[in-house]
Amino acid sequence: MVKLRTWGYFADSAGKSMLRNSWMTLASIGTVAVSLLVLGVFLLVAVNVNTIAAQVESQVELTAYLGKLSVTERQALETEIKALPGVTGITFVSKDQAWERLLGWYGNDRAFLAGWEEENPLRESFEIRTDSSHRVAEVANELTGLSGVEEVLYGREIVDKLLAITRMIRLVGIVLMCGLALAAMFIIANTIRITVFARRREIGIMRFVGATDWFIRWPFVMEGLALGVVGALVSASVLAWGYYLAVRSLVRVMPFWPLVSPWPLLQHLALLLLALGAVIGIGGSTVSLRRYLDV
Amino acid sequence: MLELRNVTKMYPSGPVALKEVSITVTEGEFVFVVGPSGAGKTTLTKLLMCEERPTSGSIIINNFDVNKLRPKEVPLLRRSMGVVFQDFRLMPTWTVEENVAFAMVVVEVAPRHIRRRVAEVLSLVGLTNKRNQLPGQLSGGEQQRVALARAIVNQPSLVLADEPTGNLDPETSWGIVKLLLDINATGTTMLMVTHANQIVDSLRKRVIALDAGRVARDEEGGVYHG
Repeated sequence: MVKLRTWGYFADSAGKSMLRNSWMTLASIGTVAVSLLVLGVFLLVAVNVNTIAAQVESQVELTAYLGKLSVTERQALETEIKALPGVTGITFVSKDQAWERLLGWYGNDRAFLAGWEEENPLRESFEIRTDSSHRVAEVANELTGLSGVEEVLYGREIVDKLLAITRMIRLVGIVLMCGLALAAMFIIANTIRITVFARRREIGIMRFVGATDWFIRWPFVMEGLALGVVGALVSASVLAWGYYLAVRSLVRVMPFWPLVSPWPLLQHLALLLLALGAVIGIGGSTVSLRRYLDV
Repeated sequence: MLELRNVTKMYPSGPVALKEVSITVTEGEFVFVVGPSGAGKTTLTKLLMCEERPTSGSIIINNFDVNKLRPKEVPLLRRSMGVVFQDFRLMPTWTVEENVAFAMVVVEVAPRHIRRRVAEVLSLVGLTNKRNQLPGQLSGGEQQRVALARAIVNQPSLVLADEPTGNLDPETSWGIVKLLLDINATGTTMLMVTHANQIVDSLRKRVIALDAGRVARDEEGGVYHG
C-alpha cells in the first residue's frame, strides 16, 4: 500500500525532472498534442459528414435530371410522374433557375463562374417529393425507367457517397494518428530514458536502502503520464477553440448545413483525447523503464 | 544472523569468484573481511546485498533465506541492513539532512518520525551543525559520516561496510572506525571489508581472510596478514 504522502513525493520528483529537462518535456508534450490534434480534427470532420449524411437521408426529395425535351414532351412526363404511387408533389426547375441557384450558392465567390452564363452547362430537372422516405428508392427506380429522364439523384445515393467519404476520413485519421502516437510514445520513452539516466545515482541509492521496485518506478510513470495528459489538454483546447470558430463562421456561410453543436461533442472528444494521452504517456514510460531501469 | 553455507559463485565469463565459502556471524559481532584484490570480497558483498544470487549453497541473512527470496522481498532484506561504501554515494544536490532522511522516505516512514530520528543519528555521528550543508562542502570523513548516518537511520541489525575508509587518510579513518565500534556496541552486527591493515591489526577483532575465492583464514582476535 503506497501512502498518500508518498504520492506527493512521486509527484514532486516527477515535476522536478520535468522542469530539469524542460526541452524534452516541451518536445514530448508537443508531439502528443500534435498527434491527438490530428486525430481530433479527423474525428470532428467525420462526425459532421455523418450528420450531414443523416440529414440528407431524411429528406424525401428526389431530383430527376432531364434530357433535351420539348415543352409538350416535358408536360407529358410531368403528368406521368405525378401519377406514380407515392409522389406527392413535383416542381420544374429550368436551366436558368438552376443557374440562379448556383450563383446564389457561391455568393461572393461567383467570379469563377464568369463566362459560363452563355452556354449554361446545367440541365433541366424535376424535383419530386414523396410521401415517405421509405418510398424514395422505389420511386427513383420507376423514374429511371421513364424516357426523357437522364439521371435520378436522391438522398440515398448522396448518403452513400458521404458515408464512403466518412469512412475514408476516419481511416486516414486513425492511420495518421497511430503513426503519430507511436512517434509521441517514442519521444516520451526517450525523455524518460534521459530522466532515468540523470537520476541513476538516486536510483542506485534507492535500491540499496531498500526501496521497492514500484517505489522506484512510480515517479517515472507519473512523469510519462503527465507528459501525455498535458499534451492531450493542449490538443483538446486547440480543438475546442478551433471548432467554436468554425461553427461561428460556417453558420454564416452555409446556414442550411450547420455543424454539429459543440456541446457535448467537444466534451466527449476531450475525454477521449485525455484517455489516449494517458495511454501514450504510460506506454512510453513503460517501454523506457523496461529497457533502461533494471529493477 | 548471517550464515553462508558452501556458497559458490561463478560468472559466465571468468574464474570462480567464490568457492564453497562457509561463514557464520552471530548477532552483535564485529568482523573484518580482508584479502587481496580478486579474492572475492566484492562478490561476497554483492551476494549479501542480494544484488546477485549464489550459483550454489545457501545464504541466510536476518532470517531471510536468499535462495527462497522472491524479487519483491529483496527490498525487505535490504532494509534490514545498512550499507556504507568507499565512495560514500551521497546525492550532491541534497543537504546532509535530506541525504539521511531519504533512506526513511523510501521506506515510507512518517515525516515527524523522520525528523526526530535524523536529528538523533546526526548527533550520533557528530554532524548536527552541518545538517544543512551539501556533501560538496564537507570533508571526506564527514561525508562518510553522513553515509554512515544514512546506513543506521532505519536501525538495521547488520551494517555492511565495504572499504569505508578506502578514500580517507589514516586519522580520519580512525574516526570512522570509532563510530563503527560505537554502533557495534549498541548491538548492531558489523561486517567491514577492508584493506586497512593497521586498523585490523590494532583492533584484534575476528578476521575472515579470503584468497582466490576461498576462506583462507577465519580467526578471533586476528590480524591482517596471518
